[in-house]
Amino acid sequence: MSNIIMTEIFTSFQDYLHSEQNVREEIRNIVKEIEKNAREILTVLQIIHQENGAQQTSSSCLKARQLFEEVRENYKKLSAIVPSGQYYRFNDHWRYVTQRLCFLAALTVFLEVGILVSINTVAEILGVKVQASEGFHLDLEDYLMGLLQLCSELARFAVNSVTSGDYNRPLEISKFVGELNAGFRLLNLKNDSLRKRFDALKYDVKKIEEVVYDLSIRGLKPGSASTEATTE
Amino acid sequence: MSGNRGPHRKGHYSKHRNDKAKVGDKGREVLEQIDDNNPVIKMFKEYGAELDTKHDRHERIVKISRDITIESKRIIFLLHSAATDLEHKREQIFNEADLRLNQLIEKSFKGIALELEDHDPYLYLRAYTAGVQEFIEALLYYQFLRYGEIQPSQNLCEKFKYMIPILPKGNDNTEVMEISNREVVMVIPLTEFFLGMADFTGELMRRCINNLGSGNIDDCFRICNYVKDIYMGFLSINSSGYKEIGRKIYILKQSLLKMEYVCYNIQVRGSEIPKHMLATVINANNAEVNNEEDEGYY
Repeated sequence: MSNIIMTEIFTSFQDYLHSEQNVREEIRNIVKEIEKNAREILTVLQIIHQENGAQQTSSSCLKARQLFEEVRENYKKLSAIVPSGQYYRFNDHWRYVTQRLCFLAALTVFLEVGILVSINTVAEILGVKVQASEGFHLDLEDYLMGLLQLCSELARFAVNSVTSGDYNRPLEISKFVGELNAGFRLLNLKNDSLRKRFDALKYDVKKIEEVVYDLSIRGLKPGSASTEATTE
Repeated sequence: MSGNRGPHRKGHYSKHRNDKAKVGDKGREVLEQIDDNNPVIKMFKEYGAELDTKHDRHERIVKISRDITIESKRIIFLLHSAATDLEHKREQIFNEADLRLNQLIEKSFKGIALELEDHDPYLYLRAYTAGVQEFIEALLYYQFLRYGEIQPSQNLCEKFKYMIPILPKGNDNTEVMEISNREVVMVIPLTEFFLGMADFTGELMRRCINNLGSGNIDDCFRICNYVKDIYMGFLSINSSGYKEIGRKIYILKQSLLKMEYVCYNIQVRGSEIPKHMLATVINANNAEVNNEEDEGYY
Protein backbone atom coordinates (compact mmCIF):
# COMPACT_ATOMS: atom_id res chain seq x y z
CA MET A 1 0.00 0.00 0.00
CA SER A 2 1.28 3.37 -0.91
CA ASN A 3 -0.09 5.17 2.09
CA ILE A 4 2.01 4.39 5.16
CA ILE A 5 -0.39 5.79 7.73
CA MET A 6 -3.22 3.81 6.24
CA THR A 7 -1.15 0.63 6.35
CA GLU A 8 -0.41 1.19 10.02
CA ILE A 9 -4.03 1.87 10.82
CA PHE A 10 -5.19 -1.32 9.20
CA THR A 11 -2.40 -3.45 10.59
CA SER A 12 -3.38 -2.50 14.11
CA PHE A 13 -6.98 -3.30 13.26
CA GLN A 14 -6.03 -6.71 11.95
CA ASP A 15 -4.11 -7.42 15.14
CA TYR A 16 -7.12 -6.39 17.17
CA LEU A 17 -9.46 -8.63 15.20
CA HIS A 18 -7.01 -11.47 15.32
CA SER A 19 -6.72 -11.47 19.10
CA GLU A 20 -10.47 -11.16 19.42
CA GLN A 21 -10.98 -14.16 17.18
CA ASN A 22 -8.55 -16.16 19.30
CA VAL A 23 -10.47 -15.39 22.45
CA ARG A 24 -13.72 -16.32 20.73
CA GLU A 25 -12.25 -19.62 19.64
CA GLU A 26 -11.28 -20.50 23.21
CA ILE A 27 -14.69 -19.48 24.48
CA ARG A 28 -16.42 -21.61 21.89
CA ASN A 29 -14.48 -24.67 22.98
CA ILE A 30 -15.49 -24.29 26.60
CA VAL A 31 -19.08 -23.47 25.72
CA LYS A 32 -19.20 -26.73 23.77
CA GLU A 33 -18.31 -28.56 26.97
CA ILE A 34 -20.96 -26.70 28.92
CA GLU A 35 -23.52 -27.53 26.25
CA LYS A 36 -22.59 -31.17 26.63
CA ASN A 37 -23.14 -30.94 30.41
CA ALA A 38 -26.49 -29.26 29.86
CA ARG A 39 -27.62 -32.03 27.52
CA GLU A 40 -26.65 -34.65 30.05
CA ILE A 41 -28.58 -32.96 32.82
CA LEU A 42 -31.60 -32.56 30.58
CA THR A 43 -31.54 -36.26 29.72
CA VAL A 44 -31.23 -37.27 33.34
CA LEU A 45 -34.19 -35.15 34.36
CA GLN A 46 -36.38 -36.45 31.56
CA ILE A 47 -37.11 -39.37 33.87
CA ILE A 48 -39.96 -37.35 35.38
CA HIS A 49 -42.00 -37.82 32.24
CA GLN A 50 -41.69 -41.60 32.37
CA GLU A 51 -44.27 -43.82 33.90
CA ASN A 52 -43.21 -44.61 37.45
CA GLY A 53 -40.74 -41.77 37.13
CA ALA A 54 -41.83 -40.38 40.47
CA GLN A 55 -39.84 -42.93 42.47
CA GLN A 56 -36.68 -42.11 40.62
CA THR A 57 -37.06 -38.35 40.78
CA SER A 58 -34.91 -37.83 43.84
CA SER A 59 -32.13 -40.03 42.55
CA SER A 60 -32.05 -38.21 39.21
CA CYS A 61 -31.98 -34.90 41.04
CA LEU A 62 -28.89 -36.15 42.85
CA LYS A 63 -27.37 -37.13 39.55
CA ALA A 64 -28.15 -33.69 38.14
CA ARG A 65 -26.50 -32.09 41.13
CA GLN A 66 -23.37 -34.09 40.42
CA LEU A 67 -23.38 -32.97 36.83
CA PHE A 68 -23.72 -29.34 37.91
CA GLU A 69 -20.37 -29.88 39.55
CA GLU A 70 -18.81 -30.15 36.09
CA VAL A 71 -20.78 -27.13 34.92
CA ARG A 72 -19.24 -25.10 37.72
CA GLU A 73 -15.77 -26.22 36.67
CA ASN A 74 -16.42 -25.14 33.09
CA TYR A 75 -17.85 -21.76 34.05
CA LYS A 76 -14.75 -21.24 36.14
CA LYS A 77 -12.62 -21.81 33.05
CA LEU A 78 -14.83 -19.50 31.05
CA SER A 79 -14.60 -16.71 33.58
CA ALA A 80 -10.82 -16.98 33.46
CA ILE A 81 -10.77 -16.30 29.72
CA VAL A 82 -13.31 -13.51 29.42
CA PRO A 83 -11.60 -10.20 30.22
CA SER A 84 -13.21 -8.32 33.08
CA GLY A 85 -15.70 -5.69 31.99
CA GLN A 86 -16.18 -7.33 28.62
CA TYR A 87 -18.81 -9.90 29.54
CA TYR A 88 -21.30 -8.55 27.03
CA ARG A 89 -18.76 -8.36 24.24
CA PHE A 90 -18.71 -12.15 24.08
CA ASN A 91 -21.85 -13.28 25.84
CA ASP A 92 -23.57 -14.32 22.62
CA HIS A 93 -21.55 -17.51 22.85
CA TRP A 94 -22.84 -18.69 26.21
CA ARG A 95 -26.16 -16.87 26.50
CA TYR A 96 -28.27 -19.70 25.14
CA VAL A 97 -26.68 -22.49 27.13
CA THR A 98 -26.82 -20.37 30.28
CA GLN A 99 -30.56 -19.89 29.83
CA ARG A 100 -30.92 -23.62 29.45
CA LEU A 101 -28.91 -24.27 32.60
CA CYS A 102 -31.03 -21.78 34.52
CA PHE A 103 -34.04 -23.79 33.45
CA LEU A 104 -32.39 -27.04 34.52
CA ALA A 105 -31.32 -25.63 37.87
CA ALA A 106 -34.83 -24.29 38.46
CA LEU A 107 -36.35 -27.64 37.53
CA THR A 108 -34.03 -29.49 39.87
CA VAL A 109 -34.89 -27.21 42.76
CA PHE A 110 -38.59 -27.45 41.97
CA LEU A 111 -38.43 -31.23 42.02
CA GLU A 112 -36.46 -31.23 45.25
CA VAL A 113 -38.37 -28.74 47.34
CA GLY A 114 -41.17 -27.35 45.17
CA ILE A 115 -40.21 -23.70 45.35
CA LEU A 116 -39.08 -21.09 42.84
CA VAL A 117 -35.33 -20.78 42.81
CA SER A 118 -33.88 -17.28 43.20
CA ILE A 119 -31.25 -15.85 40.89
CA ASN A 120 -28.73 -16.00 43.73
CA THR A 121 -29.20 -19.73 44.12
CA VAL A 122 -28.94 -20.37 40.39
CA ALA A 123 -25.75 -18.33 40.26
CA GLU A 124 -24.44 -20.47 43.10
CA ILE A 125 -25.37 -23.69 41.31
CA LEU A 126 -23.60 -22.51 38.16
CA GLY A 127 -20.65 -21.19 40.11
CA VAL A 128 -20.92 -17.62 38.82
CA LYS A 129 -21.45 -14.25 40.48
CA VAL A 130 -24.76 -12.44 40.80
CA GLN A 131 -23.57 -8.86 40.34
CA ALA A 132 -21.83 -7.77 37.17
CA SER A 133 -19.39 -5.74 39.26
CA GLU A 134 -18.11 -8.90 40.93
CA GLY A 135 -16.95 -10.57 37.74
CA PHE A 136 -18.38 -13.24 35.50
CA HIS A 137 -22.03 -13.16 36.46
CA LEU A 138 -25.47 -14.49 35.64
CA ASP A 139 -27.46 -12.09 33.53
CA LEU A 140 -30.90 -11.40 34.96
CA GLU A 141 -32.62 -11.76 31.61
CA ASP A 142 -30.99 -15.12 31.00
CA TYR A 143 -32.28 -16.30 34.36
CA LEU A 144 -35.80 -15.10 33.53
CA MET A 145 -35.64 -16.84 30.16
CA GLY A 146 -34.73 -20.03 32.01
CA LEU A 147 -37.81 -19.68 34.21
CA LEU A 148 -40.03 -19.34 31.14
CA GLN A 149 -38.52 -22.51 29.71
CA LEU A 150 -39.27 -24.17 33.03
CA CYS A 151 -42.98 -23.35 32.65
CA SER A 152 -43.16 -25.15 29.32
CA GLU A 153 -41.51 -28.18 30.82
CA LEU A 154 -43.89 -28.13 33.77
CA ALA A 155 -46.89 -27.98 31.44
CA ARG A 156 -45.69 -31.20 29.90
CA PHE A 157 -44.94 -32.60 33.33
CA ALA A 158 -48.51 -31.87 34.48
CA VAL A 159 -49.93 -33.93 31.63
CA ASN A 160 -47.57 -36.83 32.21
CA SER A 161 -48.13 -36.82 35.97
CA VAL A 162 -51.79 -37.46 35.40
CA THR A 163 -50.96 -40.30 33.05
CA SER A 164 -48.88 -41.98 35.72
CA GLY A 165 -51.63 -41.46 38.26
CA ASP A 166 -50.21 -38.58 40.25
CA TYR A 167 -53.16 -36.21 40.59
CA ASN A 168 -51.49 -34.02 43.17
CA ARG A 169 -48.67 -32.79 40.99
CA PRO A 170 -50.76 -30.79 38.50
CA LEU A 171 -52.27 -28.76 41.33
CA GLU A 172 -48.85 -28.00 42.70
CA ILE A 173 -47.65 -27.03 39.24
CA SER A 174 -50.70 -24.88 38.63
CA LYS A 175 -50.09 -22.87 41.78
CA PHE A 176 -46.39 -22.58 41.04
CA VAL A 177 -46.80 -21.41 37.47
CA GLY A 178 -49.67 -19.11 38.48
CA GLU A 179 -47.39 -17.31 40.91
CA LEU A 180 -44.63 -17.15 38.37
CA ASN A 181 -47.03 -15.68 35.83
CA ALA A 182 -48.14 -13.07 38.35
CA GLY A 183 -44.50 -12.28 38.98
CA PHE A 184 -43.71 -11.77 35.32
CA ARG A 185 -46.63 -9.39 35.03
CA LEU A 186 -44.85 -7.06 37.43
CA LEU A 187 -41.98 -6.57 35.02
CA ASN A 188 -41.86 -3.80 32.47
CA LEU A 189 -40.65 -5.76 29.51
CA LYS A 190 -39.33 -4.05 26.44
CA ASN A 191 -40.19 -5.37 23.03
CA ASP A 192 -37.32 -7.83 23.06
CA SER A 193 -36.79 -11.58 23.05
CA LEU A 194 -37.74 -11.91 26.72
CA ARG A 195 -41.05 -10.24 26.01
CA LYS A 196 -41.73 -12.59 23.13
CA ARG A 197 -40.92 -15.59 25.24
CA PHE A 198 -43.15 -14.27 28.02
CA ASP A 199 -46.03 -13.92 25.56
CA ALA A 200 -45.85 -17.67 25.01
CA LEU A 201 -46.25 -18.30 28.74
CA LYS A 202 -50.03 -18.01 28.55
CA TYR A 203 -50.20 -21.16 26.46
CA ASP A 204 -48.37 -23.11 29.15
CA VAL A 205 -50.66 -21.63 31.79
CA LYS A 206 -53.68 -22.62 29.74
CA LYS A 207 -52.43 -26.16 29.26
CA ILE A 208 -51.94 -26.62 32.98
CA GLU A 209 -55.35 -25.16 33.76
CA GLU A 210 -56.94 -27.57 31.34
CA VAL A 211 -55.33 -30.48 33.13
CA VAL A 212 -56.55 -29.21 36.50
CA TYR A 213 -60.00 -28.67 35.02
CA ASP A 214 -60.12 -32.21 33.68
CA LEU A 215 -59.19 -33.56 37.09
CA SER A 216 -61.74 -31.53 39.01
CA ILE A 217 -64.63 -32.15 36.65
CA ARG A 218 -64.12 -35.89 37.04
CA GLY A 219 -63.70 -35.70 40.74
CA LEU A 220 -60.10 -36.78 40.57
CA LYS A 221 -58.82 -33.73 42.36
CA PRO A 222 -57.35 -34.90 45.68
CA GLY A 223 -59.19 -33.60 48.71
CA SER A 224 -62.31 -32.55 46.82
CA ALA A 225 -65.75 -33.76 47.94
CA SER A 226 -66.34 -35.93 44.91
CA THR A 227 -63.07 -37.81 45.43
CA GLU A 228 -64.15 -38.69 48.91
CA ALA A 229 -67.55 -39.75 47.59
CA THR A 230 -65.99 -42.17 45.13
CA THR A 231 -63.61 -43.64 47.64
CA GLU A 232 -66.37 -44.30 50.13
CA MET B 1 -53.12 -19.28 -1.99
CA SER B 2 -54.55 -16.57 0.21
CA GLY B 3 -57.95 -18.11 -0.40
CA ASN B 4 -56.76 -21.31 1.21
CA ARG B 5 -55.18 -19.60 4.08
CA GLY B 6 -58.08 -17.34 4.85
CA PRO B 7 -60.55 -19.71 6.48
CA HIS B 8 -57.82 -21.56 8.25
CA ARG B 9 -56.53 -18.44 9.85
CA LYS B 10 -59.98 -17.32 10.76
CA GLY B 11 -60.69 -20.57 12.51
CA HIS B 12 -57.47 -20.35 14.39
CA TYR B 13 -58.21 -16.83 15.44
CA SER B 14 -61.61 -17.54 16.91
CA LYS B 15 -60.24 -20.48 18.84
CA HIS B 16 -57.51 -18.28 20.14
CA ARG B 17 -60.05 -15.73 21.34
CA ASN B 18 -61.94 -18.29 23.36
CA ASP B 19 -58.73 -19.43 24.98
CA LYS B 20 -57.81 -15.96 25.91
CA ALA B 21 -61.01 -15.25 27.75
CA LYS B 22 -60.61 -18.39 29.79
CA VAL B 23 -57.01 -17.74 30.69
CA GLY B 24 -57.75 -14.15 31.59
CA ASP B 25 -60.39 -15.14 34.12
CA LYS B 26 -58.24 -17.72 35.75
CA GLY B 27 -55.26 -15.41 35.74
CA ARG B 28 -57.20 -12.75 37.59
CA GLU B 29 -58.28 -15.29 40.14
CA VAL B 30 -54.71 -16.31 40.75
CA LEU B 31 -53.61 -12.70 40.99
CA GLU B 32 -56.26 -11.94 43.59
CA GLN B 33 -55.16 -14.83 45.73
CA ILE B 34 -51.57 -13.76 45.82
CA ASP B 35 -50.66 -11.14 48.35
CA ASP B 36 -47.68 -8.84 48.31
CA ASN B 37 -45.78 -10.88 50.84
CA ASN B 38 -45.61 -13.89 48.59
CA PRO B 39 -41.91 -14.73 48.21
CA VAL B 40 -42.22 -15.06 44.44
CA ILE B 41 -43.83 -11.63 44.13
CA LYS B 42 -41.16 -10.12 46.38
CA MET B 43 -38.46 -11.69 44.25
CA PHE B 44 -39.97 -10.37 41.04
CA LYS B 45 -40.33 -6.87 42.42
CA GLU B 46 -36.57 -6.83 42.86
CA TYR B 47 -36.00 -8.18 39.38
CA GLY B 48 -38.38 -5.59 37.96
CA ALA B 49 -36.48 -2.77 39.60
CA GLU B 50 -33.21 -4.08 38.18
CA LEU B 51 -34.62 -4.38 34.68
CA ASP B 52 -36.06 -0.87 34.86
CA THR B 53 -32.72 0.60 35.89
CA LYS B 54 -31.07 -1.06 32.94
CA HIS B 55 -33.72 0.03 30.45
CA ASP B 56 -33.69 3.59 31.74
CA ARG B 57 -29.93 3.83 31.38
CA HIS B 58 -30.22 2.42 27.89
CA GLU B 59 -32.80 5.03 26.95
CA ARG B 60 -30.74 7.89 28.34
CA ILE B 61 -27.74 6.77 26.31
CA VAL B 62 -29.85 6.43 23.16
CA LYS B 63 -31.00 10.00 23.64
CA ILE B 64 -27.47 11.36 23.90
CA SER B 65 -26.41 9.23 20.96
CA ARG B 66 -29.18 10.71 18.84
CA ASP B 67 -28.00 14.23 19.67
CA ILE B 68 -24.48 13.25 18.65
CA THR B 69 -25.74 11.87 15.34
CA ILE B 70 -27.63 15.04 14.48
CA GLU B 71 -24.78 17.38 15.41
CA SER B 72 -22.27 15.23 13.50
CA LYS B 73 -24.39 15.35 10.39
CA ARG B 74 -24.58 19.10 10.66
CA ILE B 75 -20.81 19.33 10.99
CA ILE B 76 -20.40 17.21 7.87
CA PHE B 77 -22.77 19.49 6.03
CA LEU B 78 -20.79 22.47 7.20
CA LEU B 79 -17.57 20.88 5.97
CA HIS B 80 -19.07 20.22 2.58
CA SER B 81 -19.57 23.93 2.21
CA ALA B 82 -15.85 24.44 2.80
CA ALA B 83 -15.21 23.79 -0.87
CA THR B 84 -14.70 27.47 -1.38
CA ASP B 85 -11.54 28.93 -2.83
CA LEU B 86 -11.43 31.73 -0.32
CA GLU B 87 -8.61 30.86 2.03
CA HIS B 88 -9.80 32.81 5.06
CA LYS B 89 -13.35 31.58 4.78
CA ARG B 90 -12.21 27.99 4.63
CA GLU B 91 -10.08 28.50 7.69
CA GLN B 92 -13.10 29.90 9.48
CA ILE B 93 -15.19 26.86 8.64
CA PHE B 94 -12.46 24.51 9.79
CA ASN B 95 -12.17 26.32 13.09
CA GLU B 96 -15.88 26.13 13.66
CA ALA B 97 -15.98 22.42 12.82
CA ASP B 98 -13.07 21.79 15.17
CA LEU B 99 -14.82 23.66 17.95
CA ARG B 100 -18.08 21.80 17.49
CA LEU B 101 -16.36 18.42 17.35
CA ASN B 102 -14.58 19.18 20.58
CA GLN B 103 -17.82 20.29 22.14
CA LEU B 104 -19.27 16.89 21.32
CA ILE B 105 -16.35 15.21 23.04
CA GLU B 106 -16.55 17.48 26.05
CA LYS B 107 -20.30 17.36 26.54
CA SER B 108 -22.21 14.55 24.88
CA PHE B 109 -19.56 11.85 25.01
CA LYS B 110 -18.75 12.79 28.56
CA GLY B 111 -22.41 12.21 29.34
CA ILE B 112 -22.27 8.72 27.90
CA ALA B 113 -18.99 8.01 29.66
CA LEU B 114 -20.54 8.95 32.99
CA GLU B 115 -23.57 6.75 32.34
CA LEU B 116 -21.27 3.85 31.50
CA GLU B 117 -19.00 4.29 34.48
CA ASP B 118 -18.76 0.98 36.36
CA HIS B 119 -20.88 -0.70 33.71
CA ASP B 120 -19.99 -2.99 30.89
CA PRO B 121 -19.91 -0.72 27.83
CA TYR B 122 -20.62 -3.63 25.53
CA LEU B 123 -24.00 -4.12 27.19
CA TYR B 124 -25.03 -0.67 26.01
CA LEU B 125 -23.00 -0.54 22.81
CA ARG B 126 -26.09 -0.84 20.66
CA ALA B 127 -27.48 2.28 22.30
CA TYR B 128 -24.62 4.51 21.22
CA THR B 129 -23.05 2.83 18.19
CA ALA B 130 -24.94 5.06 15.72
CA GLY B 131 -23.76 8.24 17.39
CA VAL B 132 -20.17 7.08 17.60
CA GLN B 133 -20.04 6.07 13.94
CA GLU B 134 -21.48 9.35 12.76
CA PHE B 135 -19.08 11.27 14.97
CA ILE B 136 -16.08 9.39 13.65
CA GLU B 137 -17.27 10.01 10.14
CA ALA B 138 -17.42 13.75 10.83
CA LEU B 139 -14.08 13.76 12.62
CA LEU B 140 -12.21 11.89 9.89
CA TYR B 141 -13.74 14.06 7.21
CA TYR B 142 -12.60 17.13 9.08
CA GLN B 143 -9.08 15.75 9.50
CA PHE B 144 -8.88 14.80 5.87
CA LEU B 145 -10.04 18.17 4.57
CA ARG B 146 -7.81 20.16 6.84
CA TYR B 147 -4.65 18.05 6.93
CA GLY B 148 -5.10 15.69 3.99
CA GLU B 149 -4.63 12.73 6.32
CA ILE B 150 -6.59 10.94 8.98
CA GLN B 151 -5.22 10.14 12.40
CA PRO B 152 -5.05 6.64 13.81
CA SER B 153 -7.60 5.63 16.39
CA GLN B 154 -5.08 5.70 19.25
CA ASN B 155 -5.03 9.48 19.15
CA LEU B 156 -8.77 9.46 19.45
CA CYS B 157 -8.78 7.32 22.57
CA GLU B 158 -6.65 9.90 24.32
CA LYS B 159 -9.39 12.45 23.88
CA PHE B 160 -12.01 10.23 25.41
CA LYS B 161 -10.52 10.27 28.87
CA TYR B 162 -12.17 12.59 31.31
CA MET B 163 -10.98 13.74 34.65
CA ILE B 164 -13.87 14.11 37.03
CA PRO B 165 -13.09 15.92 40.24
CA ILE B 166 -14.23 14.09 43.33
CA LEU B 167 -16.03 16.47 45.57
CA PRO B 168 -14.73 16.26 49.12
CA LYS B 169 -17.33 15.10 51.58
CA GLY B 170 -17.89 16.15 55.16
CA ASN B 171 -16.90 19.34 56.94
CA ASP B 172 -14.30 21.61 55.52
CA ASN B 173 -11.08 21.45 57.38
CA THR B 174 -8.85 24.42 57.74
CA GLU B 175 -6.31 22.90 55.47
CA VAL B 176 -6.74 23.34 51.78
CA MET B 177 -7.89 20.03 50.44
CA GLU B 178 -6.28 18.51 47.46
CA ILE B 179 -8.66 18.08 44.64
CA SER B 180 -8.51 14.48 43.58
CA ASN B 181 -9.68 13.32 40.21
CA ARG B 182 -11.05 10.09 39.00
CA GLU B 183 -10.60 9.11 35.42
CA VAL B 184 -13.62 8.13 33.38
CA VAL B 185 -12.98 6.60 30.00
CA MET B 186 -15.37 6.53 27.11
CA VAL B 187 -14.82 3.10 25.60
CA ILE B 188 -15.07 2.95 21.84
CA PRO B 189 -14.41 -0.51 20.45
CA LEU B 190 -12.02 -0.41 17.55
CA THR B 191 -14.60 -1.93 15.23
CA GLU B 192 -16.72 1.19 15.69
CA PHE B 193 -13.85 3.33 14.47
CA PHE B 194 -13.63 1.35 11.26
CA LEU B 195 -17.36 1.33 10.72
CA GLY B 196 -17.24 5.11 10.98
CA MET B 197 -14.30 5.15 8.61
CA ALA B 198 -16.25 3.20 6.00
CA ASP B 199 -19.02 5.80 6.24
CA PHE B 200 -16.43 8.52 5.86
CA THR B 201 -15.60 7.28 2.37
CA GLY B 202 -19.20 8.04 1.41
CA GLU B 203 -18.54 11.69 2.20
CA LEU B 204 -15.35 11.53 0.17
CA MET B 205 -17.31 10.33 -2.81
CA ARG B 206 -19.76 13.19 -2.48
CA ARG B 207 -16.82 15.54 -2.18
CA CYS B 208 -15.20 14.06 -5.25
CA ILE B 209 -18.29 14.61 -7.37
CA ASN B 210 -18.83 18.11 -6.01
CA ASN B 211 -15.23 18.94 -6.86
CA LEU B 212 -15.92 17.99 -10.39
CA GLY B 213 -18.75 20.49 -10.48
CA SER B 214 -16.50 23.25 -9.25
CA GLY B 215 -13.79 22.25 -11.71
CA ASN B 216 -11.33 21.10 -9.08
CA ILE B 217 -10.12 18.16 -11.13
CA ASP B 218 -6.84 17.43 -9.33
CA ASP B 219 -8.71 16.89 -6.11
CA CYS B 220 -10.89 14.24 -7.74
CA PHE B 221 -7.86 12.09 -8.48
CA ARG B 222 -6.39 12.68 -5.06
CA ILE B 223 -9.59 11.69 -3.25
CA CYS B 224 -10.11 8.70 -5.49
CA ASN B 225 -6.63 7.41 -4.74
CA TYR B 226 -7.16 7.95 -1.06
CA VAL B 227 -10.31 5.87 -1.08
CA LYS B 228 -8.45 3.20 -3.03
CA ASP B 229 -5.99 2.99 -0.14
CA ILE B 230 -8.81 2.66 2.35
CA TYR B 231 -10.52 0.00 0.29
CA MET B 232 -7.27 -1.92 0.03
CA GLY B 233 -6.94 -1.70 3.79
CA PHE B 234 -10.39 -3.14 4.31
CA LEU B 235 -9.62 -5.95 1.92
CA SER B 236 -6.48 -6.80 3.85
CA ILE B 237 -8.32 -7.53 7.08
CA ASN B 238 -10.11 -10.72 7.89
CA SER B 239 -13.64 -9.56 8.53
CA SER B 240 -15.32 -12.94 8.61
CA GLY B 241 -17.84 -13.06 11.40
CA TYR B 242 -18.44 -9.31 11.34
CA LYS B 243 -21.50 -8.83 9.21
CA GLU B 244 -21.61 -5.11 9.70
CA ILE B 245 -18.10 -4.63 8.33
CA GLY B 246 -18.83 -6.79 5.31
CA ARG B 247 -21.88 -4.72 4.51
CA LYS B 248 -19.92 -1.48 4.75
CA ILE B 249 -17.16 -2.82 2.54
CA TYR B 250 -19.76 -3.52 -0.10
CA ILE B 251 -21.06 0.06 0.04
CA LEU B 252 -17.48 1.32 0.05
CA LYS B 253 -16.82 -0.55 -3.13
CA GLN B 254 -19.87 0.97 -4.79
CA SER B 255 -18.67 4.46 -3.88
CA LEU B 256 -15.20 3.68 -5.13
CA LEU B 257 -16.46 2.38 -8.46
CA LYS B 258 -18.42 5.58 -8.88
CA MET B 259 -15.33 7.68 -8.25
CA GLU B 260 -13.16 5.60 -10.53
CA TYR B 261 -15.67 6.10 -13.24
CA VAL B 262 -15.52 9.84 -12.65
CA CYS B 263 -11.75 9.81 -12.98
CA TYR B 264 -11.99 7.73 -16.11
CA ASN B 265 -14.39 10.23 -17.66
CA ILE B 266 -12.16 13.13 -16.82
CA GLN B 267 -9.28 11.38 -18.52
CA VAL B 268 -11.21 10.34 -21.59
CA ARG B 269 -13.40 13.34 -22.23
CA GLY B 270 -11.43 16.00 -20.41
CA SER B 271 -10.31 17.56 -23.66
CA GLU B 272 -13.68 17.36 -25.38
CA ILE B 273 -15.90 19.47 -23.21
CA PRO B 274 -15.38 22.37 -20.83
CA LYS B 275 -14.63 21.31 -17.29
CA HIS B 276 -17.79 22.66 -15.72
CA MET B 277 -19.88 20.63 -18.15
CA LEU B 278 -18.20 17.38 -17.18
CA ALA B 279 -20.12 17.13 -13.95
CA THR B 280 -23.46 17.10 -15.73
CA VAL B 281 -22.36 14.41 -18.12
CA ILE B 282 -20.89 12.18 -15.45
CA ASN B 283 -23.77 12.60 -13.03
CA ALA B 284 -26.15 11.61 -15.77
CA ASN B 285 -24.12 8.48 -16.44
CA ASN B 286 -23.80 7.65 -12.79
CA ALA B 287 -27.51 7.90 -12.28
CA GLU B 288 -27.90 5.02 -14.66
CA VAL B 289 -25.19 2.92 -13.11
CA ASN B 290 -26.14 3.57 -9.55
CA ASN B 291 -29.48 3.85 -7.93
CA GLU B 292 -28.23 3.20 -4.46
CA GLU B 293 -30.06 5.16 -1.81
CA ASP B 294 -28.40 8.20 -0.38
CA GLU B 295 -28.58 8.75 3.33
CA GLY B 296 -28.96 12.49 2.94
CA TYR B 297 -27.95 15.04 5.50
CA TYR B 298 -29.57 17.70 7.55
